[in-house]
Amino acid sequence: MSILVANGLTQWFGSEVALEAIDLAIDSGEHMAVLGENGAGKTTLLRILATAARPTSGGLEIMGLDALRERKRLRRRIGFVAHAPGLYPALSAKENLEFFSTLQGVPRERVAETLALVGLSQVARRPAGQLSRGMQQRLAIGRAILHDPKLLVLDEPDASLGSDAAELLEAVMHDRTVVLATHDHALANRLCRRTLVLRHGRSVGTATRLHIVQ
Amino acid sequence: MTNSIAIALAVARKDLTAEWRTRELVPALAQFVVLALIIANFGFQIDARNAPSIAPGVLWMALVFAGLVAFGRAFAAEREQASLEAMLMTPASPVAIFAGKALAATLLLIGCEAVLLPALALFFGTPLSAAIVSAVLLATIGMAALGCLFSAMVARIRARELLLPLLTLPLWIPFIVAGGQAVQVAMGATGNYDQALALLVDFDILFVVLTSLAARFVLDE
Repeated sequence: MSILVANGLTQWFGSEVALEAIDLAIDSGEHMAVLGENGAGKTTLLRILATAARPTSGGLEIMGLDALRERKRLRRRIGFVAHAPGLYPALSAKENLEFFSTLQGVPRERVAETLALVGLSQVARRPAGQLSRGMQQRLAIGRAILHDPKLLVLDEPDASLGSDAAELLEAVMHDRTVVLATHDHALANRLCRRTLVLRHGRSVGTATRLHIVQ
Repeated sequence: MTNSIAIALAVARKDLTAEWRTRELVPALAQFVVLALIIANFGFQIDARNAPSIAPGVLWMALVFAGLVAFGRAFAAEREQASLEAMLMTPASPVAIFAGKALAATLLLIGCEAVLLPALALFFGTPLSAAIVSAVLLATIGMAALGCLFSAMVARIRARELLLPLLTLPLWIPFIVAGGQAVQVAMGATGNYDQALALLVDFDILFVVLTSLAARFVLDE
């Protein structure tokens, strides 16, 4: 059963079309990668799917709800890792997650569990601004899964993660529906069953693992 | 409702904790208002006779410019860190987030006023009374609500430093007029202090309600 259905998603920025008539259906529990060159429209598509942006035209249904009208309700069930980590540098890793746990309305116990899952328990009291870029990315991933979302939208989460990026992502993607944008074809192939390829804002098509390898 | 209050308090606590640790804003603002008073002190021929008529003007000028900086930073920092989107991606009410940001900015400006008012008394020889403090605090509430709303509106615009005063200052005029009158009377001029204070309360209620309603639309897009 499809958890996410997009029909004709189109996004214009002034006179430039960033995304053109994207149709998409993602099943519950499916992991889908989005590949494409820089400027292909990956981030635009992911921001729309995460309800962080509204498309110029087109329809989007997530978990049976109209994603353009029911954004607030859906955000309880969506986790989003954007390009920028979006953390508070003066607050510690733990304080960052505690703050977002209040906003998400989830119990504080989730903070320790999440820090352990993303491998940051040892640096929980260190200010986020003093963490390495990779650790900040781990913290951003932790924030995205803090409320145990059903749908996870990850925009190049591997960009600054270390060699164990795939293991971490596998752990956080487990039991969730995931849309993952990446430049790393091998990672996409390892983590996702299906891949959407974008070029100049248009869908070139979807492919299974085998096709991407070829 | 309880949840919204908890969110607003968490946002305010987060902003105040960050300011306490970085000490970016308040020390700079405190220095600014003291320098403004020193310049005004040299610029005007201050004596015991004209101080009560000049001091209120200097007070509001310093307060207005300090406020523009304090409220301008409220949302600009969130945009720079890309953390505003992370907050808005939660189910938390945008009004609660806005209220928390406005509360923190108000408290930071009050911290700055805690330097400004004694310094004004020191440089101009004016009284430091509860009447003056009340008028300034009441004006700060409404000014903070408006300042934070416009700060949120212009935060994503490149020319925000230019736009924020252009949008905010005209709507701060009621506070400057009523607050100015209240402070003048408190410093010895003739006039009706209670009426000026009542006006400030009215403006506070009006603008806090209006900005709370508008915040949802400003932050949600």
